[in-house]
Amino acid sequence: MKGNGITMAPTPSPRSFRVVAAAPAAHLLAACGATGGDSAAPSTSAGVDASATASAPFPVTLTDARGSDVTLTAAPERIVSLAPSNTEIVCALGGCDRIVAVTDYDDHPPEVTELPKVVIQTQVDVEAVVAAEPDLVLAAGNELTPTSVIEQLDGLGIAVLTLYPETLDEVTADIAMIGRALGADTEAADLVDEIEDRVDAVVAAVDGADRPRTLYEVFHAEGTTYTAGAGSFLASLIELAGGEPVTGDAQGVIGAEDLVAADPELVLLGTASYDPSLADPTAALDAVRQRSGWSDLAAVRDGRVVPYLDDIVTTRPGPRIVDGLEALARAIHPERFD
Amino acid sequence: MRATTAARPLVLGPSLGRATAVIGVGIVLLVVASLGSVAMGTSGIGPGQAAAIVVHRLLGIGAVSWPASAETIVWELRLPRVVAGMVVGAGLATAGAVFQAVLRNPMADPYVIGTAAGASLGAVAALLLPVAAFGWLGLGLVQLLAFAGGLAAVAVVYGIARGRSGVPVVTLLLAGYAVSSLLSAGVALLMFTSGDRLAAVVSWLLGSLAAASWPRLVFAVPLIAVSFWLLVLRWRNLNALLLGEQQAASLGVDVEREKRILTGLAALATSAGVAISGTIGFVGLVVPHLLRLAFGGDHRLLLPGSLVYGAALLVLADLGARLAGGIPVGIVTALIGAPFFLWLLRRSLAVTHA
Repeated sequence: MKGNGITMAPTPSPRSFRVVAAAPAAHLLAACGATGGDSAAPSTSAGVDASATASAPFPVTLTDARGSDVTLTAAPERIVSLAPSNTEIVCALGGCDRIVAVTDYDDHPPEVTELPKVVIQTQVDVEAVVAAEPDLVLAAGNELTPTSVIEQLDGLGIAVLTLYPETLDEVTADIAMIGRALGADTEAADLVDEIEDRVDAVVAAVDGADRPRTLYEVFHAEGTTYTAGAGSFLASLIELAGGEPVTGDAQGVIGAEDLVAADPELVLLGTASYDPSLADPTAALDAVRQRSGWSDLAAVRDGRVVPYLDDIVTTRPGPRIVDGLEALARAIHPERFD
Repeated sequence: MRATTAARPLVLGPSLGRATAVIGVGIVLLVVASLGSVAMGTSGIGPGQAAAIVVHRLLGIGAVSWPASAETIVWELRLPRVVAGMVVGAGLATAGAVFQAVLRNPMADPYVIGTAAGASLGAVAALLLPVAAFGWLGLGLVQLLAFAGGLAAVAVVYGIARGRSGVPVVTLLLAGYAVSSLLSAGVALLMFTSGDRLAAVVSWLLGSLAAASWPRLVFAVPLIAVSFWLLVLRWRNLNALLLGEQQAASLGVDVEREKRILTGLAALATSAGVAISGTIGFVGLVVPHLLRLAFGGDHRLLLPGSLVYGAALLVLADLGARLAGGIPVGIVTALIGAPFFLWLLRRSLAVTHA
């Protein structure tokens, strides 16, 4: 497949990577493990956005979060993304027009909301995935995409890469991996550099500041508070943003007694991103004061209960995670970002 | 405990003509449901194309006019699912009929003496074990442990209930209940500690045919087919057991041996089905009762009828589940089956008391 006679030297500007290539569809079938090799899929793309074709030789073998080795014989042209974070990575690397199906949670960049949806209410429609004729499926780990679905797609001979980054370093590593898969190494390296620079800037901005004990409320229902889990990605972001995370157990649950004992000095209400009634600071403070034990928390006494409206970018492990980190740092240390 | 008072559902004396007609209707229903299931799905591959693909794969005739993905969808996704629905539904309904007869209890279903709880514990343990990929004969650890767990639970229950003079049915039921409770507590405990894998556990417990594949069918189909055949061959003994164990013995049935064999075969069919589909409820309880209401309790007709209607009901329910956006099929069987069963119960009351 790489032998289309089209090779070009890497150029600094990503825009100049647009190459028009005659794209035979045979590799679509090869990667699909199609059983009937006697038929040809209709070729949908005459012009291919082959970003950075020259820098990523195919075939390439990648090792994903499940430890599976996935070999791509050519740059994928029909990608199905089973998680919004995966979609955002592909789009950030200029591969948005290669995505053929997404989930009903996908909202960024806006154009992906127009694409067919193969995950609805977290249920993966395997038939719709196959019908999309993907040459690469990007799944999410930790059962966000059910293991049974990943194994089923695998069994059908479809290339599945599973992503489950649990740290910033793993996000950038995944961006580099997707860059390799797309044949967009240069874009990936640029994006990773940008993210790392912005992370460094946040760390520098909050350097030396007091570190308030910070409770990030992921969810609250009838006396049970979900916050950043011990050792979780979210907890590590709060630390980077200059806070001392108040953590729950591995699932993020913190009991009422533990919460009072931890006595957070700052509460960030991530739920306000989805619940308009909590978006107003006064209303939010009134709401949490009603909860038993909460009126004695330092954060509530001092009025440091902040409706936090950037939950999506803070909890979605894609390229915008750095937006989330910056938002966290501004919420924890507004004085450092005036 | 007078379990034998379940008079009506277990009455003998079928009308052969009526039973033949009912089973004939069931076969038509099964064929229509199966064709519909292969022809319908979320991807818009219609009946004509689906039929052409199946004919092409089976007979090698006809020109290929479809993309390879259509063939994958019909042959690797829809068809195994339909076959799994047939086999699991047939196995559960047949096992339900047998358990109801052996235990002489209308509330008995395939899961009553421990198969479901044992299989669930096995499957959930496998889901939570930190073992990566493990496969044998195309089966994963989940399927293997579910199968083994279902059989082991029945063996334990049977062993506990065995006294000097045999296995009293009431003891068998109570031991089954207690062992199931114990195993279910184990499942609940594992669920509580399962963290992020909880979704996978719940989805298995609700039952689904979504992961059906040819290799798994190669495992389950022979087990269920052989169990069914051996059960049908014992129809006389099943009928005799309905009269009570003493009468059965006086008719020359070796009651204890027969109960052991029947329980073992029904547990085998149930465990094989549950292993590939999870615990799908209701089919095994209701189908035998529907047929007894329709044509009586002669097992020569009841077992084949259960095979046909169990298969048809589950294939239909799975089609509904698929088209409704992938909800677990166990929810659909209960949602559709329970009201229908209640309606039939009321109707039969009206008829007999008119």
